[in-house]
Amino acid sequence: MTETFGGLTQEVVSGIALGCIYALIALGFTLIYKATEVVNFAQGELMMVGAYVNFFFVSALLEVPLLNGVWAFIIALVGAVAFAVLFGAFLDLIINRPLKDEPVFSVIMATISLAIILRAVMAVIAGPMTRIPPSPFGSSVITFGGVAISTLDMFIILSAVVLVMVFYFFFNRTKWGIAMKATSEDPMAAHLVGIPVKKVYRNVWIFSMVVATIGGVLLAPRTLLDTHMGFLGLKAFPAAVLGGFGSIPGAIVGGVIMGVIETVSMGTLSFHFPWVKEINDIIVWIVLIAVLMIRPAGILGHEEVDRV
Amino acid sequence: MKSRYADENLSWIAPLVLLVIAIPFLIRGVTFSYRYYLYVLNIAGIYTILAVGLDILSGYTGLISLGHAGFFAIGAYTSAVLVDQAGIPFGLSLIITPIITGFFGLVVGFPALRVSGMYLGLTTMGFGFIARRLIIALRAWTEGSAGLEVSNPVLFGFEFASDWANYFLIFTFVVAVVVVARRVMNSKIGRAFMAIRDSERAAEAAGVNLTRYKLLAFFMSAVLAGLAGVLFAHTMRFISTDHFDILLSIYFIIMILVGGVGSIYGAVLGSVFIVLLDFLLIPAFKDWMALFVAIEVADIQSLIFGLIMFLFIIFQPMGLYGVWLKMRIYWKLFPFNPKKRFT
Repeated sequence: MTETFGGLTQEVVSGIALGCIYALIALGFTLIYKATEVVNFAQGELMMVGAYVNFFFVSALLEVPLLNGVWAFIIALVGAVAFAVLFGAFLDLIINRPLKDEPVFSVIMATISLAIILRAVMAVIAGPMTRIPPSPFGSSVITFGGVAISTLDMFIILSAVVLVMVFYFFFNRTKWGIAMKATSEDPMAAHLVGIPVKKVYRNVWIFSMVVATIGGVLLAPRTLLDTHMGFLGLKAFPAAVLGGFGSIPGAIVGGVIMGVIETVSMGTLSFHFPWVKEINDIIVWIVLIAVLMIRPAGILGHEEVDRV
Repeated sequence: MKSRYADENLSWIAPLVLLVIAIPFLIRGVTFSYRYYLYVLNIAGIYTILAVGLDILSGYTGLISLGHAGFFAIGAYTSAVLVDQAGIPFGLSLIITPIITGFFGLVVGFPALRVSGMYLGLTTMGFGFIARRLIIALRAWTEGSAGLEVSNPVLFGFEFASDWANYFLIFTFVVAVVVVARRVMNSKIGRAFMAIRDSERAAEAAGVNLTRYKLLAFFMSAVLAGLAGVLFAHTMRFISTDHFDILLSIYFIIMILVGGVGSIYGAVLGSVFIVLLDFLLIPAFKDWMALFVAIEVADIQSLIFGLIMFLFIIFQPMGLYGVWLKMRIYWKLFPFNPKKRFT
């Protein structure tokens, strides 16, 4: 890497890539929130599960002599997404349905307990050691006029942008998307006008799990694969709140701003002001509290008005 | 004219005090390794104080806190620094430190006036991370993440040096906190808290000052967390920032959820149940599990706690205290029990 270049531009670019990971996680729980108003604190763990499943597929398929590299990765991704579909439907059964109409406190704690359970189960299955997942892109780097960006980061940015656009289109233009929005407003009224509410709930959990899996597959080669990967999911919450919780474009806007703030404070700011080093890993939380104090609806969100 | 306490039932206090005094003697009579059991009970007592505080905030007032380990850590470190480095006697620290922690509670309470629900959960979670980082950053006093050794508690010239002595110190406070908390929650303040939990608008319309009572809930909760922190620092004699992480905050919430949200006895039951499970049952279970699979203790622990919390939320939202209430009604009504009341 071009550490010697070390400019601000370089930091901003890698901040954008990091921010797109936050955006992928944030997109996952924004989807669930938009359709069911459940806040899923286990999104980071869902990403971790997806990354592990993909890793198991890849390491099994790379053993098969007939498949060359790229095909093994593609088949593994398809397998992981297929698993995500099943697992998402399962989560709908065990989390969403029993907790319908429970107070928000119980729902938050149930998803946190889901996170704890998933982390422990994965640690039992995969063992405690950290894995180094193979990447289809190796360590190749693209250079634009002195700013280096790895192919993997390019893919992360690309897929985050594409997924956000797809879901934005989906929620605003297609029949299913509008049905989901209606369900979130009032499930009973949605049911009365003929929207299959149960299917809406199941599909939204499936979408969210698939997005989490894609995020996990892309993130795993960038960091390393271990069961604590899900803690990154917590950092996506401030990003989503900054962008406006429940807004799909807000997920990517908030994610990118938060990613850039984090990498710049870790790099240039820490270099010039030593005290910034102390707050590097909590800067996202400081930003979160500032946002909630100034504009709780975030950048792209709408002020919610509740009826009495 | 009826006196103020005439229609209050206070007869439960005496049996409670007797039970608390009798337990260590019973344990010493039964087993030789009584010191370990007392150590476990001491931890349970400290967490009980904290869980009662958390229950006042989350159970009675309905304000979620995912960062209570932050208050606990501030209490522990403040007292350690005050007693060992500023030379303040332990007895004075026992009064000053909870008040200092209470002011941190007020500071965190201010955002709570504007945000609610999930946003409040995130704010308090952020506070937990920030408090921990702040303690590491003040390494001139706290020795950063290396941990800090703390002196024994000394009160009126008597040094509490063993688990046996610590038991009586801690449980004096546990009994006091439980009695006071139950009395306060049955008073005007407690009713205002419950009104806020059930409907903020209705409470405001009925004349409850939201700002004052929400801040009061945060203050009381943080004071109790600070008290627990003081006792923890001086009886465990070693504190480290690794201990006060987000998982500890979640552990406290598991306690009040398992015990039963919104009842003081529930918080007591839950914290004793969880600590006993953690220190006595899981080690035994671990040896048995190790015969079949290679697994780490922390993983079993979190798996069991996660499952317990999940099952309680879905099948028994009232917690252990709710189970006890149902049993009591069952026996009172014995031959006439409509089946569907106990589903």
